[in-house]
Amino acid sequence: MGDPILLGCLATVILPLAAFAIIMIFTWRHHKLSLAISLIASTIPMIISWIFFFKLAGLKQPIIYQFDWLISDQVKVPFGFLLDPTSLLMLVIVANISWLVQVYSVGYMGGDPGFGRYYADLSLFAMSMLSIVISSGLLQLYISWELVGLASYLLIGFWYEKFSASEAGKKAFVVTRFGDIGFFIGLVFLTLYFGGLDIHSINTAAVGKGMPQWLLTASALLIFCGVMGKSAQFPLHVWLPDAMEGPTPVSALLHSATMVAAGVYLMARLFPLFAAAGPTALTIILAISTITLILSSTIGMVASDIKQVWAYSTVSQLGFMSMGLAAAGLAGGTLFAGYFHLTTHAAFKALLFLCAGVFIHHFGTNDFFVMSAQGGRKLYIPMATVTIAALALAGIFPFAGFFSKELVLGALAHLPNKIWLVLGLLGAFLTAYYAFRVIFVMLFPRPQPPDWVQAQIDVMASGGHGHGHGHGHEEEDTGHGHGHEEHHGVPWVMSLPLLVLAFFTLILGFCQGYLEKFLMGASHPHDVDLMLLVAAVGCALGGIGVAWLDWGRPTAKWQGFLRQFPVLENFFIQKWYMDHFWRWFLNTIIYGIFSKWFTYNDRRVVDGGVDAVALGTIGSGRLLSFIQTAFLQLNIFFMVLVLAGIGIYLLMGR
Amino acid sequence: MLIFNQLNTYLYLALVLFAIGLYGVMARRNLIAMLISIELILNAASINFMAFNRFLAPHPAVGQVITLFIMAVAAAEAAIALSIIVAVYRKLKSINVEQATELRG
Repeated sequence: MGDPILLGCLATVILPLAAFAIIMIFTWRHHKLSLAISLIASTIPMIISWIFFFKLAGLKQPIIYQFDWLISDQVKVPFGFLLDPTSLLMLVIVANISWLVQVYSVGYMGGDPGFGRYYADLSLFAMSMLSIVISSGLLQLYISWELVGLASYLLIGFWYEKFSASEAGKKAFVVTRFGDIGFFIGLVFLTLYFGGLDIHSINTAAVGKGMPQWLLTASALLIFCGVMGKSAQFPLHVWLPDAMEGPTPVSALLHSATMVAAGVYLMARLFPLFAAAGPTALTIILAISTITLILSSTIGMVASDIKQVWAYSTVSQLGFMSMGLAAAGLAGGTLFAGYFHLTTHAAFKALLFLCAGVFIHHFGTNDFFVMSAQGGRKLYIPMATVTIAALALAGIFPFAGFFSKELVLGALAHLPNKIWLVLGLLGAFLTAYYAFRVIFVMLFPRPQPPDWVQAQIDVMASGGHGHGHGHGHEEEDTGHGHGHEEHHGVPWVMSLPLLVLAFFTLILGFCQGYLEKFLMGASHPHDVDLMLLVAAVGCALGGIGVAWLDWGRPTAKWQGFLRQFPVLENFFIQKWYMDHFWRWFLNTIIYGIFSKWFTYNDRRVVDGGVDAVALGTIGSGRLLSFIQTAFLQLNIFFMVLVLAGIGIYLLMGR
Repeated sequence: MLIFNQLNTYLYLALVLFAIGLYGVMARRNLIAMLISIELILNAASINFMAFNRFLAPHPAVGQVITLFIMAVAAAEAAIALSIIVAVYRKLKSINVEQATELRG
């Protein structure tokens, strides 16, 4: 136990868990105390993560601590910690973003009656996410994965008095579980063939092609099902936009930077397995992520809720990351492109959400048109940082997104089929467009807001209290009222995380070489494909330009160019009818076919069988009741007779 | 004294007891008498066990253990049977089995 690294690993996992338990059991009524416990339990892992990051850089061999938790014949299930560059980087991301979000939430959630519970849930999340990152075995990862799902459910449904919030929590839980079924079957496959779920040995075995090809393909695709659920890939992306019902810091923490990135992280973690899985699996993955990218960017173009825009943006960027990973796998590249995009995305997307949170907190609405009309741009710090983050999202030099997008597009360009590259560029264009739609609307408000915005403002004014924020309970007294009485500046606990994240958004791009050396062991000078560079920046600038024409310039009519194509616009507003599809799927397939027949089976076959046994017993009882003559001695006589007969028979048989 | 040191003696004794018990169960109409007869049958079985244990068994204690079991079971059975008899008496004001005809099929 004297090993400081092992102690550090244990502390990162156990401290947040202990914080969760202590807050939930003892201190949840005392807001300050709960906050202190939770902050301590998240600060220490953050410090540890930085120490690990710098001390363990240049690791040749992964550090593995593990013990066999379950041994059954051939099957060994290890528990423990695996520290290698991949997990160290993610550890830093997760620990830092959860720390920043905990700090930020002091301001955002201040005065909420569920403050203690909120911090307990955040601690639970931190524990399970950190455990995903450094777990050495896939089963441990799976358990933490489900725990993350639980934390996400608790946090999305945090304002559970609100019907839509509790519904959204359920939806997130069920939809991700849907994908996890596949993940679990994949794990079973691996266990059956491989006899263990140790990540390190699975990766080495996969590289050595120790498994039959079809099995590798199947397990990779099944594990990707889990990724689809968690990382909100088409067609399981529907839960993520709904998950925005939770408090905004939660959206920043779970639903943009860390939890949803867990899926992509899993892909990166098992990258050798995916790379070895062969072109079939990778092409399917690539196609799914490309569809996700395009689908969610187009929906982001028409949403008017700022959190929805960022949510769809998250979905699309996750698609972009897994495109990068799949393309690298296909072209024989490394996981760096996708993983680097994950890193930069974590910074700038958390920043986008936290900025959105400041606006929402301040104005009590989620609609960015209304924010704009009420003077959103006067909040200088969030407005500046949100612009930086949007530039990063669009992929403009010198912000972080530029470098990572460039890498992903480079990976796509290595594929023989250029359609992926074209679609990736289209995605970049759309991303720039929807990001700057929000920015321009916020930056250049109209002196006279358009009618539909004015109508919203009137509704809010008559409603008195902006409930767009989502607090279901009355809390004027607690000083957390939004809307009118809170037009003072932004509290420092909220702006500090913004500034930190903005700093990272600015510098992360230039850390590319260092990170690549850290992750891959060596930094290859990238042959900069000038054509690609021009194309990518051109697409981003084109997107921004179109956004300027539609939303920015003084004479802009605040109508998207999509208004020219009403059919298409409606299609996007209806979210590609994916919610309708799932509703139909549930009603027709699940309820209509499976539930119906299972119910029928239950009623007729199972219940019927039980009834048949009971009725048969009653009938035969009736039939045989003539034996009962109510004359005890007669019964005994026959009994003796029969026994004597049997005895004689046995004796004769000898 | 040789006769007491033979297996057959005890087997005949058990047979007689068993026969008396069987006759009692089948002939008597009084429930208590029937219960006593059943105890006789059980005792016959016990005597058999003891006898075989004494003269034939490879292990010296098996038959005795079973006999002890039979005694314990007989005690329990007597308690239950007596309580049933009391219940029957309360119901029918009689312990004659010919009166108990309610369960005729």
